[in-house]
Amino acid sequence: MRGAEKKRSGDLMTVQWLNKRRLALAALYLGLAVILAWWRPYVLVEGVQRSCLYAMIALPMALILGVLGIINLAHGEFMMLGAYLAYWFNVRAGLDPLLAALPLLLVFFILGLATYVSTIKHVLAAEELIQLLLTFGLGLVISQMVNLIWTSQPRKVQLDYVSASAAVGGFSFGTFEFIYVGAAVLVLIGLLLFMKYTRTGQAATAVGQNPRGAALVGIDVDRTYLMVFSISVALVGAMGALFMTRHSIFPAVGGSFTLKSFCLVAMAGMGNLSGILWCSLILGLAENLVLSIRGYSGWADIIFFALIGLVIIIRSRQRQST
Amino acid sequence: MKKGAFITILAAVLALVLWSVGPAAAAEPIKLGAVLPLGDITGDQASKAMKLAVKEINQAGGLLGRPVELIVVDDEMKPEKGAAALEKLATVDKADVFIGGMASGVHMGQIPILKKYQKVTVWIGAASSKCEEALEGADWYFHLHPWDYQQGASYLEGWTAINQKYPQIKMDKWFMAYEEGAFGTASFKGQQALFKDYVTEGESFKSAAVGGGDYRPLLRHAKEAKPDVFIWVGYGADALPIMEQAKEIGFAPPIFLGSPPGWPPDFGKSPLAEGVYAYGMWAPSIKEVSPVSKHFWDAYLKEFNEEPVTYFCALGYINVMFLAEGIKKAGTLDAAALVKALEQTEYVSPVGETLKIAPSKVIKHQGFTKQKILQWQKGAQQVIWPFEFATAEPMYPFPAWDKR
Repeated sequence: MRGAEKKRSGDLMTVQWLNKRRLALAALYLGLAVILAWWRPYVLVEGVQRSCLYAMIALPMALILGVLGIINLAHGEFMMLGAYLAYWFNVRAGLDPLLAALPLLLVFFILGLATYVSTIKHVLAAEELIQLLLTFGLGLVISQMVNLIWTSQPRKVQLDYVSASAAVGGFSFGTFEFIYVGAAVLVLIGLLLFMKYTRTGQAATAVGQNPRGAALVGIDVDRTYLMVFSISVALVGAMGALFMTRHSIFPAVGGSFTLKSFCLVAMAGMGNLSGILWCSLILGLAENLVLSIRGYSGWADIIFFALIGLVIIIRSRQRQST
Repeated sequence: MKKGAFITILAAVLALVLWSVGPAAAAEPIKLGAVLPLGDITGDQASKAMKLAVKEINQAGGLLGRPVELIVVDDEMKPEKGAAALEKLATVDKADVFIGGMASGVHMGQIPILKKYQKVTVWIGAASSKCEEALEGADWYFHLHPWDYQQGASYLEGWTAINQKYPQIKMDKWFMAYEEGAFGTASFKGQQALFKDYVTEGESFKSAAVGGGDYRPLLRHAKEAKPDVFIWVGYGADALPIMEQAKEIGFAPPIFLGSPPGWPPDFGKSPLAEGVYAYGMWAPSIKEVSPVSKHFWDAYLKEFNEEPVTYFCALGYINVMFLAEGIKKAGTLDAAALVKALEQTEYVSPVGETLKIAPSKVIKHQGFTKQKILQWQKGAQQVIWPFEFATAEPMYPFPAWDKR
């Protein structure tokens, strides 16, 4: 009894400590936001907008990595393909890219199904290097295919609303990129609800934690992998439509977002979906803060990757100490 | 009967062999080996323009009584592929001359191959003077595109001339936004060196071509600097997003100037392009002041059902036509005679200027030495300078965003 009481007491203290830690972090974030809003408001606004762009693209990768355990090196290329299809819909049929995101969800879901069945499924039990090579090859196939069809010439659709702005006092800022904030929050909440309240989502959680155990209790692991992969591809393909509203697109545009997404997932931790948003905020705000200082724009990437490295080292040490 | 039939068949076979060998030997084509980045708009349109030129030459009877054959190999914008393309043209296709070119980086990889074969080469690409330095002593080499220092000198000449003719156009303070790679950094250093009498501030940015695309911090700094001239040096992928984000933060300097190697084909159609200046060797509007340019424009449009949108298109046509004039003048493909003939050839070109060969800093055979200053007005690119090719007056200042 005394041992059990001690354990309960210890658990309670841990929870209290974690809650205090979370409160402290929340207070820190809020404090930083207030300081930025007063000192350099555009850093806060544009940093949040940019952070959510990174987050909305990284969240689908976190889903695949957390459940299937595969790093999808074709992640950025799926986004790029989604961007090109949205461009094509706009040029051919005059369909607004924001609306094109909806049919693209279905198109890329089907593409995800086909990709999983034809390729990913066959390497799930293989070494990680084989899996990396496969997804890398997949990315090359997609980008070369796009290059053949559309050439490497950058393309950009003309949309008046992407330059919309608002003013608060003497400070004017762009408002369109708040759509990335909305998209990131929507995708995050959607995925969290999916994982918690749907059968497939609950199965995905179980499979992500222990595929053998999940199989033993009757979960169809292969079907779960199929659904998770397809949902991830559907989401990132649809994000391509949002991305191309503000960016020129060309076959190589996705590569850097694969890297950034992977870095965010590594920083947040495997399967930590909400952590992606927080980590994106840290990185996006840090990046914009550095860019706001004249003459230091070249440091933005260094700071970005240095922060990632630092967080990974801290996490690793915390795990070792526990 | 059998003997007679055998002799008849033998005679027929002999006649067939003689017919296939005889005319073929006389009609062996003159082979132009071209290397271009076919996946890029510059290479795509340049190769089409070359095909058009070859077609016109063959319709007029060819050269030296022989048809002209164009063989185009893609360099994929990679130095190793560009070098391999020249090897293939030399060894497999047996090209008589080398033409083409676009990127300087690719050309650096090709120069050792050019030196290996020493075929007469007429090149329309590569602005970096590092390429020129590597080609010292290559007397078989003709370079048609201005070198970087020549481009810079022409910009200074042009803006000075514009300021003198239009004193209301102020350009004392420049702000240059340059992509953080070798191209942008070299451009900024060149600008500072050449425009010594002007104040030049600058800041680097990450181009969308390498994963960037948020220019707002940079544009805010430029806005704070209040320059007379804002110039950005990046890539085509940066063009429209820079304009969108400049509008978003309300940045409208008196002169908004872009200097990418190539513009997106639909940039001019955007209302954001109104009043934007650009550097280039050719604009569609030159057809209004140059009959040669008009012929080129009409012929290209008819042949390919698309408009030329990059000056490399005109350069591709010039590349073949200038070479053809040289071959006609030489009367032979002998390298020494062809080099001498090309040195003396003057070709009235679709970019307006008459192409003549003269030495540059390092090499003996340089063609064009200047760029033009262009401006988008009502969706069309107009020539502002040189004044002898001007098709419109400069629009100044850059129209405010809320007045469009």
